[in-house]
Amino acid sequence: MRIWTSEHTFEHSWDTVVTAAWRKYPNPLNPSVVGLDVLDRSIDAEGKLKSHRLMSTSWGMPGWVAKLIGMQETAFASEHSVVDPKNKVFTLNSRNLTLSNVLTVNEQLVYCQHPTDPNKTLLKQEATVTVSGLPLCSKLEKMMTDAMNNNANKGRQAMEFVIDKVKKEARELTTEAHKCMDNVLPKTSSL
Amino acid sequence: MNSVGEECQELKRRYDECFNKWFAEKFLKGQKDDPCQPLFKVYQDCVKKALKDKKLDIEQMEVQVMGTDNEKQPPS
Repeated sequence: MRIWTSEHTFEHSWDTVVTAAWRKYPNPLNPSVVGLDVLDRSIDAEGKLKSHRLMSTSWGMPGWVAKLIGMQETAFASEHSVVDPKNKVFTLNSRNLTLSNVLTVNEQLVYCQHPTDPNKTLLKQEATVTVSGLPLCSKLEKMMTDAMNNNANKGRQAMEFVIDKVKKEARELTTEAHKCMDNVLPKTSSL
Repeated sequence: MNSVGEECQELKRRYDECFNKWFAEKFLKGQKDDPCQPLFKVYQDCVKKALKDKKLDIEQMEVQVMGTDNEKQPPS
């Protein structure tokens, strides 16, 4: 049952946003993501990049609490994604693996080039929740949507943080390259 | 970023570096050849082993449970 949707525009090109998305973690806004592994990756016949990743998250509770309530300290989520470079669409689907026999939260993110401005990127997010045998009561649903809004905001801030980092690196590289050229060119012109 | 297997850390770092560079400089510009495949293979084997050691069966976890007969029912 769909409980939450959201749309956001990044003031950066799709290429920049998608490149940054792969480098999203670690970032200071999502400290609970403690591990990320690529389980599988391939390019299909249409040239789309398909990836399957395993995300490890910590509950943020002390080890002794986890033991007390019988929880593993680390929870896992599975993410499947497709990058379509021709149409400039990046789709990610993630869902929890831990506790999946009780509750499943499925989140979908779609990053696409803005329909009217190629220098901008549109992000559409959607979450669905399935709970074991119980109707999702309105209080629980409100808690989940609040948590998702909060996380989505952090996620967007995290993306801006990483995009900034990636652009800074590119600027530094350009400056270094210019410095090199400035050093080399006068010497070669005198040859 | 950490790997689920501590022993795979360095392999992951090397693969991620290769992938990020290739993705931005080649894949997005239309080049499909992935030179990171050998690095990925070694890293992937390490992760599979680490998951096995930790007794995490990802395929089993991914099996759809909710909405099927495997779903836990409330006690009657």
